[in-house]
Amino acid sequence: MSRIKGFCCNYTLSVEPEALKGEGLIPEDVDLERIPCTGRLEVPELLDAFTQGASAVFVVGCQIDKCHNLSGSRRASKRVAQVKKILEELDMDPGLVEMFFAGRGETEPVVEAARIMASRAGAGSRPE
Amino acid sequence: MIIAERKTLKELLEMVQGCNRIMILGCRGCVAVCSAGGDKEVSILASALRLGLSRQGKEIEIQERTLVRQCDPEYIDPLNEEASDFDAVLSMACGVGVNFIADRCEDINVLPALNTTFYGANLSSGEWKEMCAGCGACVLHLTGGLCPVARCAKSLSNGPCGGSQGGRCEINPDVPCIWQQIYDKLSRLNRSDEMKNIMPIRDWTQAGHGGPRRRIREDLLP
Repeated sequence: MSRIKGFCCNYTLSVEPEALKGEGLIPEDVDLERIPCTGRLEVPELLDAFTQGASAVFVVGCQIDKCHNLSGSRRASKRVAQVKKILEELDMDPGLVEMFFAGRGETEPVVEAARIMASRAGAGSRPE
Repeated sequence: MIIAERKTLKELLEMVQGCNRIMILGCRGCVAVCSAGGDKEVSILASALRLGLSRQGKEIEIQERTLVRQCDPEYIDPLNEEASDFDAVLSMACGVGVNFIADRCEDINVLPALNTTFYGANLSSGEWKEMCAGCGACVLHLTGGLCPVARCAKSLSNGPCGGSQGGRCEINPDVPCIWQQIYDKLSRLNRSDEMKNIMPIRDWTQAGHGGPRRRIREDLLP
């Protein structure tokens, strides 16, 4: 497993993740997975990413009031919040999991999210 | 329904120390409805424990399973065989389920994953409130359906204490005085005069102070 695991929905990222790596926009150790909707992500999937070796995990969903599936990114953000609490219980930095929001087809917020999380994973401390 | 909440992960990790194989056992009864111990919570706890254990450099086999109920023999008894190879069964049922497994499965090491908290109602998604104390001597017909045993901090039987101010309980300004609410309710029903009737001294033996309670309906016995 790559050091950083990212999930984004089809509507926030319109290009293949590998293309972003090819252009050097996101770090090589970021594994970005496109899924139909971030609302289908469950807490265990996010936790299991850490167990399988990720140092940081992030989710990029639609703008919360403009989700293609109405409430998908809202659901995802609640689950990310739940994972943060679990990380705290395990004495882990809750900043190592994060929810980001992006407009439809906007690549830049996804790239920015990947860079932020790579930085957090590298720093191993709470985000600014 | 019975309301419960998960114990801390630190407590649970401590409980399963020394185990090589555990079964996390959910219940699709009350604890599933209050999102404490159903299928989803079993899955979350399994992942959380795996992560916690991996951070300790440990790995144990965790099997996830959920029963229809953990308070009926037909679901519990098969565990005698099905869980015999596990070092522990981490039950996500209320305390009833944990006790019932302990009673009926002599060789199973059953551990509680939840703290059982109260009998409550679902106010809204994610919010529950205590409504009943299971005291065994219901007086709701005298109080407009509102329980002074469960919902008064002092379980008073004949009106509010001096700590009731502005319709609020002295223990916390966010807590309404149930005796104020009883008065308001009975007034709406034109029954407020009934509050002048003094309730007799309660028989608390029916509330469990006389030992574990048991109910038998002979017409249903096998």
